[in-house]
Amino acid sequence: MNGVPAASHTAETVAGGAPVLEVRGLSKRFDMTQALDDVSLTLHAGEIHALVGENGAGKSTLIKILTGVVQSDAGEVRVEGAAVHLANAQEAQACGVAAIYQEPLVFPDLDVAENIFITHREQDLLVNWPRMYAQAEDILASLGVRLDVRASARGLTLAAQQAVEIAKAISLEVKVLIMDEPTASLSDHEVRQLFRVARQLRDRGVAVLFITHRLEEVFEIADRITVLRDGEHISTRPAADVTRDLLIRDMVGREVDQFYGVGTTRTIGRQVCRVQGLGREGVFSGIDFDLHEGEVLGFAGLVGSRRTDVALALFGIQPADRGRIEIDGRAVRITSPRAAQQLGIAYMTEDRRKLGLAMPLSIAANVTLPVLHRYLTRLGLIHRPREEAAAEGFRQRLDIKAPSALHLVEKLSGGNQQKVMFGKWLNTRPRIFLLDEPTRGIDVGAKAEVHTMVRELAEEGMAILCISSDLPEVLAMSDRILVMREGRQMGILERSEASQEAVMSLATGEDEGGGATTGARIAEGTAP
Amino acid sequence: MNARMDERGSRSPNPPDPMESSRAGPAPAAARLAAALGARVRSWEGFLAVLLLCIIAMNALTSPSFLTAENQVNLFALSIEKVIVALIMTFVILNAEIDLSVASMMGLSACALGWLVQQGVPMPVAILACLFIGMLGGAFNGFWITVVGLPSLVVTLAMLIGFRGLARVLVEDRSIKEFPAWFEALGQQPLVGPFPLSLIIFFALLVLAVVVLRYSGFGRQVYVIGINLEVARYSGINVARVKMLLFTTSGFLSALAGILFAARLGTVRGDMGLGFELDIITIVLLGGVSIFGGAGSVYGVILSILIVLYLRNGMSLSNITGHLQTGVIGVLLILSAMIPNVRSFLAHVVRPGRLR
Repeated sequence: MNGVPAASHTAETVAGGAPVLEVRGLSKRFDMTQALDDVSLTLHAGEIHALVGENGAGKSTLIKILTGVVQSDAGEVRVEGAAVHLANAQEAQACGVAAIYQEPLVFPDLDVAENIFITHREQDLLVNWPRMYAQAEDILASLGVRLDVRASARGLTLAAQQAVEIAKAISLEVKVLIMDEPTASLSDHEVRQLFRVARQLRDRGVAVLFITHRLEEVFEIADRITVLRDGEHISTRPAADVTRDLLIRDMVGREVDQFYGVGTTRTIGRQVCRVQGLGREGVFSGIDFDLHEGEVLGFAGLVGSRRTDVALALFGIQPADRGRIEIDGRAVRITSPRAAQQLGIAYMTEDRRKLGLAMPLSIAANVTLPVLHRYLTRLGLIHRPREEAAAEGFRQRLDIKAPSALHLVEKLSGGNQQKVMFGKWLNTRPRIFLLDEPTRGIDVGAKAEVHTMVRELAEEGMAILCISSDLPEVLAMSDRILVMREGRQMGILERSEASQEAVMSLATGEDEGGGATTGARIAEGTAP
Repeated sequence: MNARMDERGSRSPNPPDPMESSRAGPAPAAARLAAALGARVRSWEGFLAVLLLCIIAMNALTSPSFLTAENQVNLFALSIEKVIVALIMTFVILNAEIDLSVASMMGLSACALGWLVQQGVPMPVAILACLFIGMLGGAFNGFWITVVGLPSLVVTLAMLIGFRGLARVLVEDRSIKEFPAWFEALGQQPLVGPFPLSLIIFFALLVLAVVVLRYSGFGRQVYVIGINLEVARYSGINVARVKMLLFTTSGFLSALAGILFAARLGTVRGDMGLGFELDIITIVLLGGVSIFGGAGSVYGVILSILIVLYLRNGMSLSNITGHLQTGVIGVLLILSAMIPNVRSFLAHVVRPGRLR
């Protein structure tokens, strides 16, 4: 299981080698969420250290602090024993900390060598081109990567772009290289190649912090494994001492069903929506499910599993190009949000600021936005009293903390903005409500309110599809859970068979054995 | 190390409490009124109003003829074409778009009118045809912007050249003067009381613009699209239809302005209205409409129109040359562009990490 080629070498360095990077008591808070809470971690020279955890466990925040993108609220970072202050990306780089990401940041109009030495340029007045090309070739050769250093970076495969980024890090003589989900969009073969490079870096004495969602990769490459959960450090163990079950237990924790209302007394009604073989070229495929009145269908999966894209297809933002959607037993084509609304479908986005609410406008203006036509007089003017009355109704019903319905949305807290978004879509009187991360970025109290609201809506007979990366939440709220992974449906779990372990197994593809390959490279994110 | 961090932490102010204002408790009514008044004056419209009052006072003091009804009507009539187009430009910019082709469309419609009349087409038919050309040209802009998805800056820049080229082809290097007397009278003589037709049209459009933008569902949609196009799209608003309508109307009103221009001058030439688009956009931006869309009001634009017209008029009455007048207006625009930016720049420095 362990990285066989250099196992003995690693044991030595971990035992005797000085720590390169020490993180002590790091904490960070964003608005309402404690992203990191007193996290400590030590990286030794010449080790590959895997960092795992569910979505929202705090991995990204930790990386951002280490690379100087965000600053911690408390705690300290030491590089080779000396405390450092990482105020920005340049300082992190100067300290010898660099990161490569799932989507490499290469400049397509420059050639390979220029990309490798992009941060060096200002050192000399003139660029010594022959020397630059020679050095670039040396670095790539030392990594065992064959690339034309004079070729433009445009058109390089993702794996080659990552190789360029790694070469860039080497040219900066990094001591710590963070690899943030580098394998998420790579083919099996490319993953092998990347692992070989990572091991070479380790053997040169670099500390590699490797973040991945694929557990099989963790066991293959890591010397030690650290688990984060809910912003807290859970465990750090040598990979040899860790079993898969132990790792998953550390990742998902044990406290479930605490404030989520369990025991639901809903009656599942007739089927309102049926989806067969739904797909969109290069994004997702093979989605099959049905949805009934009064049912909550959970959508689980890791970030990038394309759950949102399925919802956007049902809402007509990015229409599906294959498969079949039936509403009330009638086949329909949904090509615009307007068409979706007319079929009784509402979609509440995960991104309030960018996609959800007109921030500088009032609660009233937002709540009536999708159905403005209902509030117009015959002359096309807005009937203000009627609009305000409607918004006031939602303000009271959803307990939005604002002095009046005319209060501006941008002045509300995250939780209250979320409620405004609920009001906006409830106002369209949907029969099928697609919720995308309905509790993201809101505090615990507001979360509980949202859970209650969802349950009540289902009890009133609404069919609800709920995407959530909060595993305990999905388990507690859903009647059934559809698990997705990399654009494919991995299965639907009935309430009785759903557990955190079962969902995580499907979501990480553990049961499949070996990393499944994604043929087409999929760009992260949704609509342009 | 820790001390340094703490220092940094304490230097960055706490985020403002969203409920602060409501928690402040009941203030005396007078104080609240004063605060509201203060906020008004500190708003852009407030600033413009104060500036306008200063200009009026200055003009009235330096020139006794400034406040006469005749001068007031005259100063409006001299720029009425630009001012009419500024109204629709307000909508376009609020929608986070731009229409650079308006002045060329004015020229095209005026020249087309002259050409049609020369060909013996009856005047009313020619006018209708020109208005139709305006709608067609605007819809053509709208097609490239909404259906093809090109930026309006590029599309309307192309049409700025295209429409102007067509206008010059129609009249070549001549000027056409063969308009019926009633048409010229319509452009030059008062129609109702002291007001010529163009002014009456402007006031009607002004009322319409205020009503549509402030009170109609369409106006709400224009704002929301300007604030955040994606939010509008996700809310099921037909964004393409709104934009199409705006550009078509922009073409239509530009053509109308071109016809009124022809009537006022009694003659048309290929270079009519050359460069007017810049004056028009200046007025709208000075009026506090954000070039990024979503913020601004017709009221600000009205104030800005008055400021620009009074300033020019005052300088004319004081025998300041046209070029210098243009210079002063230019400085005003730079200031208007700078002041909000200086404010947001300062806000940045005071509250770091908060992007636009």
